[in-house]
Amino acid sequence: MGLFILRRLGVMILTALCLTFIVFWLTNLYPNLEKLAKTQGNFRMSDEAVTSYLTNRGYTQSLPVKYGQWLGVLPGWEIEGSDGELRRRCEEGQNYCGVLQGYWGYSTVFKEDVSKIIATRLALTGKLMFWVLMVMVPGALIIGILAGMREGSKLDRSLSTFSIMTTATPEYVSGVVLIAVFATPLFGMQYFKGTATSAMDDANFQNFFLPVITIALYGMGYIARMTRASMTEVMTAQYIRTARLKGVKFRTIVIKHALRNALIAPFTVIMLQIPWLLNGVVIVETLFNYKGFGWTLVQAASNNDIELLLGVSVVSVFVVLLTQLISDIGYVFLNPRIRIS
Amino acid sequence: MEPLTWTGNVGDFLNPIFWIAAVILLVSVIAQIILSFFAEEMTLQANPDGTLMRRGGLFGLVERLTKYSFFAVVLIVLAYIILGVVLPYGSVGIVGNMAKQFTPVWLALIATFALSITFKRSLGLYGKLFDSTVGMIGFGLVMFWVFTAGFAGMFDMLATHDPLQQISGLKNKLPGVPLPEGVEGYPHYLLGGDNLARDVFSRMVYGSVIVIAIAPLATVFAFMVGITLGLPAGYYGGRLDTILSFLANLILAFPVILLFYLLVTPEIVATGIPTFMATVLFIFPLVFFGVLINSRYHTQPTQRTIMLAVVLGVLGLLYLSLISQEGTVFNFMPAALDLFDISSGILVVFVSVVFVNSPTVFRIVRGLALDLRTRDYVAAAQTRGESSWYVMLWEILPNARGPLIVDFCLRIGYTTILLGTLGFFGLGLPPESPDWGSTINEGRKLLLIFVHPALPPALALLSLVLGLNLLADGLREESLKD
Amino acid sequence: MTPETQSRIHPAALTYAEDEKTGKLSRREFLARTTALGLTSAAAYGLIGLDAPAHAGGHAQQGGTMRMQMEVRALKDIRATDWTQMAFVYAGWLEYLVEYNSDGSFNPMLLESWDVNDDATVYTLKLRQGVKWNNGDDFTADDVARVITDWCDKSAEGNSMAGRFAVLIDPATEKAIDGAIQVVDTHTVQLNLPASDITLIAGMADYPAAIYHSGFDGENPLNDQVGTGPYLSESHEVGVKSVLVRNEGHDWWGYAAGKGGFLDRIEYIDYGTDPSAWVAAAAADEIDMIYETVGDFVEVFNGIGWEESAVASAATIVIRPNQVAEVNGMQPYANKKVRQAIAMACNNAVCLELGYANQGEVARNQHVGPMHPAWADVPALPYDPAKALEMITEEGMADFEFEITSIDDDWRRNTTDAVAAQLRDAGFNVKRTIIPGSTFWNDWTKYPFSSTNWNHRPLDTQILGLAYRSGEAWNEAAFANAEFDALLAEANSIADADARREVMAKLQGIMTDEGVTLQPYWRTVYRHAKPGFTGWDMHIAYLPQIYKIGVAT
Repeated sequence: MGLFILRRLGVMILTALCLTFIVFWLTNLYPNLEKLAKTQGNFRMSDEAVTSYLTNRGYTQSLPVKYGQWLGVLPGWEIEGSDGELRRRCEEGQNYCGVLQGYWGYSTVFKEDVSKIIATRLALTGKLMFWVLMVMVPGALIIGILAGMREGSKLDRSLSTFSIMTTATPEYVSGVVLIAVFATPLFGMQYFKGTATSAMDDANFQNFFLPVITIALYGMGYIARMTRASMTEVMTAQYIRTARLKGVKFRTIVIKHALRNALIAPFTVIMLQIPWLLNGVVIVETLFNYKGFGWTLVQAASNNDIELLLGVSVVSVFVVLLTQLISDIGYVFLNPRIRIS
Repeated sequence: MEPLTWTGNVGDFLNPIFWIAAVILLVSVIAQIILSFFAEEMTLQANPDGTLMRRGGLFGLVERLTKYSFFAVVLIVLAYIILGVVLPYGSVGIVGNMAKQFTPVWLALIATFALSITFKRSLGLYGKLFDSTVGMIGFGLVMFWVFTAGFAGMFDMLATHDPLQQISGLKNKLPGVPLPEGVEGYPHYLLGGDNLARDVFSRMVYGSVIVIAIAPLATVFAFMVGITLGLPAGYYGGRLDTILSFLANLILAFPVILLFYLLVTPEIVATGIPTFMATVLFIFPLVFFGVLINSRYHTQPTQRTIMLAVVLGVLGLLYLSLISQEGTVFNFMPAALDLFDISSGILVVFVSVVFVNSPTVFRIVRGLALDLRTRDYVAAAQTRGESSWYVMLWEILPNARGPLIVDFCLRIGYTTILLGTLGFFGLGLPPESPDWGSTINEGRKLLLIFVHPALPPALALLSLVLGLNLLADGLREESLKD
Repeated sequence: MTPETQSRIHPAALTYAEDEKTGKLSRREFLARTTALGLTSAAAYGLIGLDAPAHAGGHAQQGGTMRMQMEVRALKDIRATDWTQMAFVYAGWLEYLVEYNSDGSFNPMLLESWDVNDDATVYTLKLRQGVKWNNGDDFTADDVARVITDWCDKSAEGNSMAGRFAVLIDPATEKAIDGAIQVVDTHTVQLNLPASDITLIAGMADYPAAIYHSGFDGENPLNDQVGTGPYLSESHEVGVKSVLVRNEGHDWWGYAAGKGGFLDRIEYIDYGTDPSAWVAAAAADEIDMIYETVGDFVEVFNGIGWEESAVASAATIVIRPNQVAEVNGMQPYANKKVRQAIAMACNNAVCLELGYANQGEVARNQHVGPMHPAWADVPALPYDPAKALEMITEEGMADFEFEITSIDDDWRRNTTDAVAAQLRDAGFNVKRTIIPGSTFWNDWTKYPFSSTNWNHRPLDTQILGLAYRSGEAWNEAAFANAEFDALLAEANSIADADARREVMAKLQGIMTDEGVTLQPYWRTVYRHAKPGFTGWDMHIAYLPQIYKIGVAT
């Protein structure tokens, strides 16, 4: 088991290195650097001014060198600019400053340390995700179990249709429809707010419900269908049949005998669903103007804020890989039939 | 011209009935769900006289109520559509006129269903689809949009206006607004005007063309890539598998939106990276068909050579015309041979969607191949001395078709959602494009004041993806019955 | 308003006063012209026998908080400021020498008064007495001379002030000409110009012209907030929120001068670029004021009972072909006939309706308008799409694909879409391209045919000089016309607007005849606020006059 985790960790780090290098390469293409210079300097800057801006700030070094500096395996640059000013990547007295040294870089858009931005924004998204999971997981499990306990019943049909509907509705559609119905006076049901900006400081039912439900709905259908499949499988298993023949009450069978085994598969699905939620988070945070991690991603990407974008990618890649790892390990722990040597 | 109401004169007597039926349906469905928690289990019992026992009491009543009110609702909806098609312009309001516009689609749908149901026994898996209600509903929804796209894209039918035409005075006007005096053309904007005074209905219709053209095609390409790489990875295993799986996981670990932002921005397009990617990704169909034909007919060299020459010749020409474009790094084809040019925006979107989808298909195919390579028929083929590619393409692949077809349907739906996501972030497709993602994005900016421009494309996208999901569900059910 | 000492009245000002009284000159034009010549607005109003309007702050109470919806951007070198939203933040502690007002007048702020000689070659700037920096230093002529010298540093990255003070710059060194900026005494600075230029005062009033301290950190103005103004930044979170609070320890000169500085706390909250989110925020009482209300949302905010402030400005959009741009190996827009055809195929009124919800005035593609002092009434090319099609067919351009580029933004994009649709209706083959805001400006002067927004400029020659003089950096139309340049130089040396108008008529004629650009309308700019505030009126040039805002008594 230990070796398995170690190997997975190794792959994880290799993947993260490859991915960050790709992001690094794409963001450091010259047209992107030019965009960066113009947003930072002045939109209406001449080509010479762009070159001097980039050279003075170390952007024109070769790609592997820059990547090494970002990682912290090469000494940071120190350049005396064409305007006579001496600029350094690192603070005085430090030669190496990169991710390995705990320095994630400086955001050109937000003018702040990347680590600090990511921490604040991630906390906000964490809040959103927490509520999404609180709504989505119980909701999906209940729907899945109810639908799966009597396969083919009317209840099953209605709930399955509902889950297919939700998986077929991407966040930007459901968000738009929900806002139209519940946040405009049009249908006379203006119960919620169409923006979640104020939810960053003070989340309440009114300003947080719509974004949470928008993300939760999309993920819910898929998990519910997985739970249903797993539940129907369990309900047809021998030991359940035996219990029913013995005359155990249906409710007791479901709660005491079927549930535990039926929840193994959904657990993996839920873990694997978390990276997908990231997509939804980006859309919903844009739609509801909630300034979390997804919003930061959009800002960093559209302004070519290289170091912030790298930080964002590292975090999201680790979220993806970590959830995969947890789902693997969890599966092994929960399922007595699988053993990894 | 008077503005149109939603249902016109017919609505005067149909609307109340419709609402009553709808409310009864809703209430009875909810009642049924609640009652089902308390109701005794239904076990089929034969009465002594040979009839089956029907459930009685409150539950049975509710059940029957649901059934009848459901039929009533369906009937009235049909009445709206049929009356709309039959009665003269304007008498059935917006709904009826939309139904009238869609007349060719209804006819095509009826023809398709009639033919398919008649011959369903001889149509294999496709025919079995018509045994499942869910599958038929899904198929109907999908075909509705396919026919809509076909008629609109190829014959310029269905739509009432040009999707880009702006008529002064109709900016953000509500559904059913008449055109101003003196302007020629269809007399109303059926679903109102958008922020630039364009017809929402026509944009929705033309939007289907883009979605229906790109999504399935991109999915086909993703499958070509996934199959061509996934089969050997699963069949051979070993180092090849390790490397390919690592690459696939690498792409999968990328947050999709970040990837799009990195690939679809104008700066990256300017560097030509998407064109390079297109060059690599689009070669897979050639490889696939080349190997497919070669592995089957390599014992009959003449036949093989002719077939290869024809297929690869056609595909090759298509491939070269596809990647050779003015204004990019690849512009080598003489104009006479270059069959078509795809606008760089669409190409980029296409490439990104294929790129994002391929690794998932790869994983599925690899898993299936891993599973199927231990089967007896594979061993038999190996003993016969067939080549590895023959085994993979002519033995394993046909036996993996069930799950692949189901995934194909789901994946088209997913690709549609992805395309919409791109449109939503304003990436890729040209800005005036009527595709649903972009129109939803446009519409949402004024959502709090004008809902009507955003809702039609949203509901259209919803219905298409829903149809694909239902279709996949139906196919899965039926293929499991095999 | 404190009485300003007036050494002498510029001779032209007296002529203007006569013109105003006889109705030859509108009041706005009169104020713009005379105050630019060094008159205080009180004196200017006095010349035409009126009292200056009461200061808006008269009804404000001291204290209170104001929350404004505004995009919060990262600050940069003041001279390189390219968004007025940035200025709204640093205007808390940095102030301007002169302020420009929506009525067209120029008022002294850190200056007490200024003098311009008759041919506009010598400017004498007299500083306000008793102004102190918030670190205790005195504000002196050295500070002003230092900042003006910085403005003239053309090599500084992104320094847009260099364009406004181009006349003072030595092309060889790219720095200020030796001796051009002269400190006469502790409170007097004299600018000696090598050629006449009537636009310098207007330049000093523009938003990147804030006066900063010598210890200023060019990379991040927030690091060391030494200024003369009444506020300090408490927090500044890009894209989220920025807060200004009263600098309690600092005795701002404006308190004594009765300028205002009423609010204790100013919050700028970023609700993104989507106006419907602003409506939601307003409905939820999360904000008191909108930075700028656009398009359809003017009606929406009126509908929810907010107060409206509207100013007709010279802010506009130009959709211009670039005359040297190459498309498929040729220069399609070098042909004057093609450019004229484009202008004739577009109805500017439709652009205004579809692009900007009719909230402005139709313009004539000349980029000089009735709000400018020396505007001449020159007719535009007639709207005749049939003729336009004929013309491009004659020139062999019937099949040419006109690619029109714009930024991805509400009104700029919509107006460009409206132009595209009209060209299509006329029978042109049109393709539209939209580029995201972050990327658009990379090549904004180079697109073959694209739209750009231009802000309000007080004087008629300013914009022509910036955007249409041969070889100018911002000449996005790549318009090069020797006759035009010569006429422009001539116009720039004529301080008297009536005399200048004759030259302007010729310039506007060239703009029309050459079909240099489409410039369909002048925008009226709007701001909305919750009832209960004063001094928040929309500014014609978006200048950050936050000290005027207060809670109404």
